[in-house]
Amino acid sequence: MTTQFPHAMLPQANHDELARQQFIQSMKKYIFTKMAPGNKLLYEKVAKPKFEREHQRPPQNRFEIKQVMQQEPNYKWWGALMRINQEMLWDAVMTTVERQLPELVEGAKDKGGELGTLTVDPDLKIPAYQTAVDIHCMPGSYYSEFTQDDVAAGATYDYGTYVYGLGWLGPLNDDMGLSVVENYLKPYPNFQPKKILDMGCSVGHSTLPYVDAYPEAEVFAIDVSAPMLRYGHARAEAMNKRVHFCQQNAEHTNFASESFDLIVSHILLHEIPTPAIRKVMSECYRLLAPGGMMIHVEAPQYQHMDLFTEFTFDWQTSNNNEPFWSAMRDLDLGQVIALAGFDADKINQTFIPNGAWKLKTVNANSQQGGLTSRGNWFIVTATK
Amino acid sequence: MKKIAKGKRPIYFDDAQIDKLFAIAMALAGEVSVLRDRLDTIENLLESKGILSVTEIETYQPDEKVTQQREQWRSAYLERILRVLQQELETFN
Repeated sequence: MTTQFPHAMLPQANHDELARQQFIQSMKKYIFTKMAPGNKLLYEKVAKPKFEREHQRPPQNRFEIKQVMQQEPNYKWWGALMRINQEMLWDAVMTTVERQLPELVEGAKDKGGELGTLTVDPDLKIPAYQTAVDIHCMPGSYYSEFTQDDVAAGATYDYGTYVYGLGWLGPLNDDMGLSVVENYLKPYPNFQPKKILDMGCSVGHSTLPYVDAYPEAEVFAIDVSAPMLRYGHARAEAMNKRVHFCQQNAEHTNFASESFDLIVSHILLHEIPTPAIRKVMSECYRLLAPGGMMIHVEAPQYQHMDLFTEFTFDWQTSNNNEPFWSAMRDLDLGQVIALAGFDADKINQTFIPNGAWKLKTVNANSQQGGLTSRGNWFIVTATK
Repeated sequence: MKKIAKGKRPIYFDDAQIDKLFAIAMALAGEVSVLRDRLDTIENLLESKGILSVTEIETYQPDEKVTQQREQWRSAYLERILRVLQQELETFN
């Protein structure tokens, strides 16, 4: 496993904090390799036959699967472990952040000579759908501020995502943006956007690949969270990347109409309710210049999965404080985007290989050219 | 910084108190792992500095005195951990 790139804003764990975080990673691996397969086995051998005996047919949706699975002890133990693991993760990560918070806050402040900009809007209202629960059980969620000029939520997210995903997004947590750039945009060298917008950028980890891909472009990144943006701005500066971060709600921004050539988002859609998704798509349509493109990266939708996998995926909705997860995965995105004004034949839903970050770290002389991708990102795109 | 995530916590077991016990047990498991890693660090450093080898640890033979002390320690340790099981029996005294 590679280690996270230690840019100047990244919190550093001490010996015992790291040991605790590694325990949590090992615990997660245990859950996925030793507990999760038991759920499928249990379903096939016990729960599904039980349902079929009672109803004279197999379960037809994830709710029916849940009915039979939720009584099964192995499923309960798996769920309990998943939830405990998530809570322990944030607790262990936040311990590291809290210890260094004064230095992080100080380090994030502008010193002069910054490449990019940061625009915070203290009057921006955090949408009620963001404050109802703390998303993915991260205490304080994206938006809470614990001190003046706070960056804690950003530091927790940048560091925590790496621990959570066992480094699956790469040392810079940038696989989503990088995979879009390498596997979707680079095949079209004639498309050279001049103004790019990343919606729901959080700490800008997915934004930076676009800065590299289009050095002549102006890159903007928006989020409703000030502590995420402060951290993201300092992080980008630490890595010498020019980004204009601003605190805005993607449903309704203050940018001029038709002022962007490329609008992107990365796992934003499942964090907002359907009415907000509609508004985001309408806003994208307004903001895009003719010929402009939008690309929204996500995990797969339920239409792409078999029923049992859908059922397992759905766990996030009620167990990991992801209230909009399943609604989004059930959504007909093509229809939503068409309603926002895009031509149906200019809308595309497809998969791109993930893991672009691995190709970056492979030595040019290595024998490992042509690493096989282990998975995909689902993207929904539309051009105006 | 906040410690607890806002939002109703799901209950996995028949008794919500069991959920809590399980979370406590896993947190303890985590701390044992942390201690073990720290000990492992110390052993590795001692070995690399030529002060004490892992083999010496593995082949250490406690003498009679140490063995007895350890048995006494373990006895008190178990009494401390399982103290609550003595609660009802105490009422007969």
